[in-house]
Amino acid sequence: MILLNGTRVFITGMGIISSLGQGTGRHLESLQKNRSGIKPLTLFTPSPGNSFPAGEVPGFSQTMAVPRTHELALLAAREALSGTGAVPDSIIIGTTTGGMPVTEELLKKNVPDPDQYRYHSTASVAEFLAAVLRCTGMVLTITTACSSGAAAIKLAYELIRSGKAGRVLAGGADALCRLTYYGFNSLQLIDPAGARPFDRERKGMTVAEGSAMLLLEGGESVPDCAVVEILGGGLSCDAYHPATPHPEGKGALAAMRKALQSAGISPREVGYINLHGTGTRDNDLAEARALNSLFGNAMPLLSSVKGAFGHSLAAAGAIEAVVCAAAVREGLIPANTGCADPDPELNLKPVLTPRAEKAAVVLSNSFGFGGNNACLVLADPAAKREKPVPVEPSGFEILGSACITGAGDTDQTLRKLTVDKTCSGILPLADISKDLPAREVRRLKRLPRLALALAMEARKISNHDQTPSSVFFGTSWGPLSETYDFLTRLYASNEQFTSPTEFVGSVHNAPAGQAAIMLGADGANLTLTGGDYSFEQALIAATLTAADGGTALVMAADEFHETLSPLFDASVRLSRVPSDGGGALVLRKPAGGSRPRIRPVFFENSVNNPSILQSLVQSLGGTEEISARYGALFAGMPMKDRDACEKQLGEIIKAAEFRAPAVDFRRFTGEYGSATATAVALAAGFVRDGNIPSSITGGAECPLGGKGILILGLGGFVTAIEILNCP
Amino acid sequence: MEELIAELKEKIIATLDLIDVTPQDINEDDRLVGGKLGIDSIDVLELVMMIDKDYSVKIDSKELGEKIFASLRTLAEYIHKSRTG
Repeated sequence: MILLNGTRVFITGMGIISSLGQGTGRHLESLQKNRSGIKPLTLFTPSPGNSFPAGEVPGFSQTMAVPRTHELALLAAREALSGTGAVPDSIIIGTTTGGMPVTEELLKKNVPDPDQYRYHSTASVAEFLAAVLRCTGMVLTITTACSSGAAAIKLAYELIRSGKAGRVLAGGADALCRLTYYGFNSLQLIDPAGARPFDRERKGMTVAEGSAMLLLEGGESVPDCAVVEILGGGLSCDAYHPATPHPEGKGALAAMRKALQSAGISPREVGYINLHGTGTRDNDLAEARALNSLFGNAMPLLSSVKGAFGHSLAAAGAIEAVVCAAAVREGLIPANTGCADPDPELNLKPVLTPRAEKAAVVLSNSFGFGGNNACLVLADPAAKREKPVPVEPSGFEILGSACITGAGDTDQTLRKLTVDKTCSGILPLADISKDLPAREVRRLKRLPRLALALAMEARKISNHDQTPSSVFFGTSWGPLSETYDFLTRLYASNEQFTSPTEFVGSVHNAPAGQAAIMLGADGANLTLTGGDYSFEQALIAATLTAADGGTALVMAADEFHETLSPLFDASVRLSRVPSDGGGALVLRKPAGGSRPRIRPVFFENSVNNPSILQSLVQSLGGTEEISARYGALFAGMPMKDRDACEKQLGEIIKAAEFRAPAVDFRRFTGEYGSATATAVALAAGFVRDGNIPSSITGGAECPLGGKGILILGLGGFVTAIEILNCP
Repeated sequence: MEELIAELKEKIIATLDLIDVTPQDINEDDRLVGGKLGIDSIDVLELVMMIDKDYSVKIDSKELGEKIFASLRTLAEYIHKSRTG
């Protein structure tokens, strides 16, 4: 299918499973009757004194040998695709827990068998869906805590508008587990009576689970099966605190404004707002302040459904998109369940009982830890609006790049490579932290320090007037030290004591939130967790959102953790030299300078995709174009798929008739998910200098003669990023 | 009480990784949260866990917490009162 750049995007299928049951029909009925799914927890027995209600999927017993999150996601996906028989071109999933429901049980019992952890990663949810649904295109995983579901829909919307996919399955999924149940409790954010958003007596949220999946399709005219149209979305970051919203709702306001602007809608046209409204004192106050400053006296109908569903974290944004679709399509404005006496301090009048009233345009709010905010605008396809904003051409110019490896910073890495032909290994924590403010990083462990050190070095090498305003972060495994320490402390105390610091630090997007605070970056802040392809995914996210219009920090990093890394990552297990690190680039839209340019050019799933390599060569413009453009290939070949990767590389070289050097970069970076980021950061410098040193090629020095470098990711996915000299 | 205060100083430094702070730097009558030690809301919750674990004293409500964590002295007094009372 060929789609025009800037095409309209419609939701043509929806699936949902939550504490209110399974299926869109059942949810409509529950919302009409103002039912709540919040009940005492049955999934596991909480420790004495820690029993509080939750939003558990009722009557759900697992039938598949995958973690609960994965199965919930598949159930929602099957409903969304039912009747269409359609295979999505791409899948974009938001999740924060991934395989944690299984992993935490295994770690409790000290199970040493790595095979049992194979579905641990957040990426494995989307990859599982792709395998079952036979999707061979781009598969992305987004982890921005409680805004993940909405951010996934925003990325899917932009992917379709870019013309790179016609049909995308997007949504969110999270299952209840000890990590989130005890974690939010340690922050004293749980209301023992169940969430009562915006109520005078509200005491917090209710942790919940569920999944919602949406099938998004592009088109110039309204398809018959269109449920609603997505008009736009806005992303922002509070850049204020890891877990507390900006008190004035500054980030929330910015995300709402951007969403409306991108949709070509004025505040007056909004008929209903589905609020984030978790029920915590701070969130509801911050959101209320943002709403009051944006809408003033002309406040639309509004409600939070988290008193009915509970807060299903990464699923919430997608679930609430389904709720918003019902407001547009069915004329059902849901109640702000649980709120009996609206808090006068908030100056809001949430809808207290369900109303039958159609809203032509609705706004949906989702905010998360790390100050990661995402808002969506959904509408009746017949709703009037200004012409949508056209999509900007993709690609960036590189203002600077940096890496951290076992050898140290960029300069130390290059020196070590010259002498020893390797930069693998583990840099001591003190060396990573050498330039970081000691007091401010005292609570941070290895991964956030790696990210901050990269952010700091990247800022140094780009000019001060080009400080990044948005952050795109990739990580395969997230903060492993925080996760491990949280669970270890929990189990050591018979599930009585946990560390709130470690819980806040354990979320995958915590390092990107920290980087935003340090840089004052209040634009988009997205964390992508795509296993060995996490950097590629972060770069794609930056490209799709055009770096939110400003300068972007695009980086990826992974930490080596003695216990967890070998359990989770087969490449690390096979490697003889434990290694970690990452790379960062400072990017902006090309402004006519002579700096090298970077662009993601290919990302496909190699499972069920026999023609993938031909597809790669074709999308790179064929053999002559490839030889004309690239003076070298950098190939990322994870050790766990070594044989398959070598075969793929051989076939690509043969098909492209490529004669220049191919650099097997994991041989010198060591094995870690974000090694691609390190290689890209180094490659950016080589393209700028027009030369690849012999320490990298393993043979002779390689003058590039004005050509660029193609960075390939091989294995379960095949990806390509090009770095070219300015034309 | 003075013994408890001295003990709490050590525990606060250890719990919050205040690597560049010594017990002498903490004045028991100074503002504990948001003061020069840089203690914020997450640190307070970390201390709540530590106090529950080490002294079996629960501090639940945020409003109550603000009064209790006004200074190190108010915190020590609350722990003392809860254990003896």
